[in-house]
Amino acid sequence: MASMLKTSLDLAVPEHKHTGVHQKLSGSLSVASHGSKGIFHIKSETSLDLNHESLASKRSKPFHISMKNVGLATIGTMSGIAGGCALQVMSGGGSGFGGWNGGGFGGGGGGGGGFWQGCFESFMAFANSEDPEKNYDSHGLKLGSPVNISKLNANKRYKISGVDLLDNRTGKLVGLDDPFYELITMKPGSIFTTAQFQTELENLSSCGMFESVTLDGLPQSDGTLRMRVSFVESEWQPSEAVRCVNVGLLPQSKPPDVDFTRMTDKEREAFIKTQEEEYKQRLRRTTPVILPNKVESDISAWLRQERRVTARILQTIRDRIQRWYHDNGFACAQVVNFGNLNTKEIVCEIVEGDITKLVVQFQDKMGLPCEGNTNMRIVERELPEQLQPGFVFNIEAGKKALRSVNSLGLFSNIEVNPRPDEENDGGIVVEIKLKELDQKTAEVSTEWSIAPGGSGWPTLSSVQPGGSVTFEHRNLSGLNRSLFGSVTSNNLLNPQDDLGFKMEYVHPYLDGVYNPRNRVFKASCFNSRKLSPVFTGGPGLDEVPTVWVDRAGVKANITENFTRQSKFTYGLVLEEVTTRDETSAICTNGCRTLPSGAFSMDGPPTTLSDTGMDRVGFFQANITRDTTSFINGTPVGARYIFQVDQGLGIGSKYPIFNRHQLTATHFLKLKHVEEGAKKAPPLVLVLHGRYGGCVGDLAAYDAFTLGGPYSVRGYNMGELGACRNFLELAMELRVPILNTQTYGFVEYGTDLGSSKDVRGNPTEYFRRAGSGMSYGLGVKLGLIRAEYTQDCNTGSGALFVRFGERF
Amino acid sequence: MASSQPREWTGLQQFPVATQNALHTLLGKLRNEDVKSLTVLVLGKGGVGKSSTVNSLVGERVAVVSAFQSETMRTVLCSRVRAGFTLNIIDTPGLVEGLFVNDHALDTIRRSLLNKTIDVMIYVDRLDGYRVDNLDRQVVRAIARSFGPQIWKVGMVALTHAQLSPPDGISYADFVARRSAALLETIQKEVGFKKGDPEIPVALIENSGRCSTNSGGEKVLPDGTVWLPKLVEHIVDIATSSVPAVPIDKKLIDGPNANKRGKMFVPIIFLLQYLLVIKPMQMLIKYDMHNESENGPPWEKLSKRETEVAEK
Repeated sequence: MASMLKTSLDLAVPEHKHTGVHQKLSGSLSVASHGSKGIFHIKSETSLDLNHESLASKRSKPFHISMKNVGLATIGTMSGIAGGCALQVMSGGGSGFGGWNGGGFGGGGGGGGGFWQGCFESFMAFANSEDPEKNYDSHGLKLGSPVNISKLNANKRYKISGVDLLDNRTGKLVGLDDPFYELITMKPGSIFTTAQFQTELENLSSCGMFESVTLDGLPQSDGTLRMRVSFVESEWQPSEAVRCVNVGLLPQSKPPDVDFTRMTDKEREAFIKTQEEEYKQRLRRTTPVILPNKVESDISAWLRQERRVTARILQTIRDRIQRWYHDNGFACAQVVNFGNLNTKEIVCEIVEGDITKLVVQFQDKMGLPCEGNTNMRIVERELPEQLQPGFVFNIEAGKKALRSVNSLGLFSNIEVNPRPDEENDGGIVVEIKLKELDQKTAEVSTEWSIAPGGSGWPTLSSVQPGGSVTFEHRNLSGLNRSLFGSVTSNNLLNPQDDLGFKMEYVHPYLDGVYNPRNRVFKASCFNSRKLSPVFTGGPGLDEVPTVWVDRAGVKANITENFTRQSKFTYGLVLEEVTTRDETSAICTNGCRTLPSGAFSMDGPPTTLSDTGMDRVGFFQANITRDTTSFINGTPVGARYIFQVDQGLGIGSKYPIFNRHQLTATHFLKLKHVEEGAKKAPPLVLVLHGRYGGCVGDLAAYDAFTLGGPYSVRGYNMGELGACRNFLELAMELRVPILNTQTYGFVEYGTDLGSSKDVRGNPTEYFRRAGSGMSYGLGVKLGLIRAEYTQDCNTGSGALFVRFGERF
Repeated sequence: MASSQPREWTGLQQFPVATQNALHTLLGKLRNEDVKSLTVLVLGKGGVGKSSTVNSLVGERVAVVSAFQSETMRTVLCSRVRAGFTLNIIDTPGLVEGLFVNDHALDTIRRSLLNKTIDVMIYVDRLDGYRVDNLDRQVVRAIARSFGPQIWKVGMVALTHAQLSPPDGISYADFVARRSAALLETIQKEVGFKKGDPEIPVALIENSGRCSTNSGGEKVLPDGTVWLPKLVEHIVDIATSSVPAVPIDKKLIDGPNANKRGKMFVPIIFLLQYLLVIKPMQMLIKYDMHNESENGPPWEKLSKRETEVAEK
């Protein structure tokens, strides 16, 4: 039963730039699942509440639905940080001293102290409180002449039709792409009162970017105002270099509570000196930044070309530095201050977002903190090292934590939340909030399937009720152990026909939760029914009576996961294999129809014991080394799989065998491409080889088959033969054309002359070729592959549509 | 396989007296050798006269023959008893279908002969076939493959349509010699006969009712020899020779038991797999893991604050 669940993991971090200095980060992660077609089904929780839901029909773990529809997490709500340490850029009065208080310095002259501070929360408040749909008042002013906002009517609500920025130094209007536009909250169409105009002006003049600012309104003929901001930009002495320092965990220096106007010149001088001294000391206590020197020197080189250091230049420097941080995922990094202005080396103070604390918290259904059932250590071992205190918070580390915690499958909702540390200025507390899933789930689902009747059309009697009962007890004793069971039947009226069952116990952390080695023990009992490709006809022998292979047994294995894809599994399998014909009766030999129309039952024996039923116990090992990674949606790398089934002489006829298979697949990138969403995948050459062999007792159902979508394309499953040893070679060239992937391939499979070594020689008996080659062309549309394949044995071609990947 | 209870060999009495006498002598020879029964397998391409040969040999119309189409669809066993001696003759369908050897037919023949022992195999071909072509080689090889090469050691070649006028300039004896030599050479080459292996006898046959007869009413060849006793003589020679008969058993039909082959090496193979495949792969994975931690995405390294620098 295939699971129809698809879990999508999507983590987006949109950045909203409200103003030049304020950045709000928010992200969301959603884990969503989509059930398949709505089929009536009854869901029962452990509480035995029955609720009707239209959910998926065929799925092995239906209870996932209920939990996976929920789920969002936020990464980085940084408004607090930005608000708390709102960007400060200081200009020193000739000495490089940066003033700490806005009052006296705001809007000072050229050499005077400049200070800007963003009070952007208030800007936001305004913007939000206004409803742009509301009516406005006509200005009632004479057209053509600008009016200072102080002369506007305090009771009127003015509509703004546009904003212009006029640089008084050049006497020209600045372009719309100018960074100063970011500072202005007045947007065309918004409605302002004089009080709001006044605040806007105050904000602009106190932000430190300007030496002087005036705000005028140009009355328009339609009753609106066109606003003009005339400004003189702040300027400082030219500098040669920028030095970045991390002021992350330094205590925020509080502006000294002094009134400059009451000071004598001497006092003022002394005060400035102490401030300077304090700043120097503060700089000494700063830590180096993680920003590479290259970025610093690039900016310095650029700065040397500038004649003067203007507010705009500082803004650009800040943007460049912040861009580097944000591009590299350091979402909490902020340039908070510029110091030592008017000197050769400007100091750029950065709060990088040092993690001071990592908190894992469980939440109940209402979102309130609660005691979790899960062992904390299980969550902790999934978290990347980079989320531990002492590291700089990186959004990628957050994402990684989210992914790996999610892969535990224990939580319905996971949030990874960096928030400013209240006790430690500039620090980040990473909060991980987890909502646990119900420990016990049980479900009964029913479905109707329509089987084709005798005439090929469905009839009333062919409508069969099917269903499944599943239960899962997960996270036993908080250590993510789980017990899962399911019983399925496609026909409840006759469940003995095809009763599928599975019961599985999973025990992770076999070596203890504190051991970094992660081995998972799994024990299961199962049954399965499959069509045997060994008993398939070659070309010209289409009507081969089918042979079903039923397996039922128990399996116990240990899996050691090395990397996400590489793993080593070993264990024991005890199973009973029964071969049945179309009527579900046990059959001992394959059969075919003779050209004369007679039915020949003398085919190859289906089982080792000749009774149609084998019992066998064997040791199974599988080691996978997978170094593939996805580049723009296509895998690149190599994958090796070695699998061995070692018979132990347990079972019917005491089978001793060694059945092994080695698969090697290389995905070679032939051309370098840039990585990124919506970029075309690279040109890839896939080389694939597979060898399999068996020494010792080999039952027909275990013979290797050649041909099929995962062996040699263009042939049916097993159409080329059933053999003891085989070799498959395939080559595929994947060429991206218009963002879709097209490919051409050649495949070859041979039985190495070993078909005769399978009892009864099923290859010859069903008139199969024993080897074959095919080639073709295809195009990949999402998950679907459409390919035209030419079969070299008969020389005919056919179009196939398939799901998923070949390799 | 169509077979019937062994019947009295009444056809023997239909033969001319001289032939009867000759045959009785030969049967007496068999009796001396203590051979109680003889199984003769008749093989050959389609339409060369296998069934007719069987009919001639038994002296009865045991197999349906027709001039224009193949009548033998499956193997037919006919058993005849005479004075405590049983003669089993197995007639088979033609081995060629289209221009290829019909492996399926051969396989069917083989399976129908399960648990029988072939004393003599008669490979039937026409004398008036002028050359040995690729198909003949394939047929010879296919017979060796399905029944084992030793079948050819109890084999003889029977050339039908022996009453012919050889092409201009060649005498009858010369033609027969060259035709049989070419065929024998092919057989010996394809089957891989070595020196010391028995020579394959060649018998000439003329099944047609228009075959010339001598004064005794016996069918004779253009060179005057009576062919039927000659054929039986060859059969008897092979049966009494030192070459063992070929048993057709389950093993021959199913091929060698590959399940037993190399079974004792299984533990060694597994050990080698562990040492030479699983262990190195584990090491490669360890190397990958090391690499991965070294060459992670840039942020993994960047976010590490170098505390020792900070302490300076």
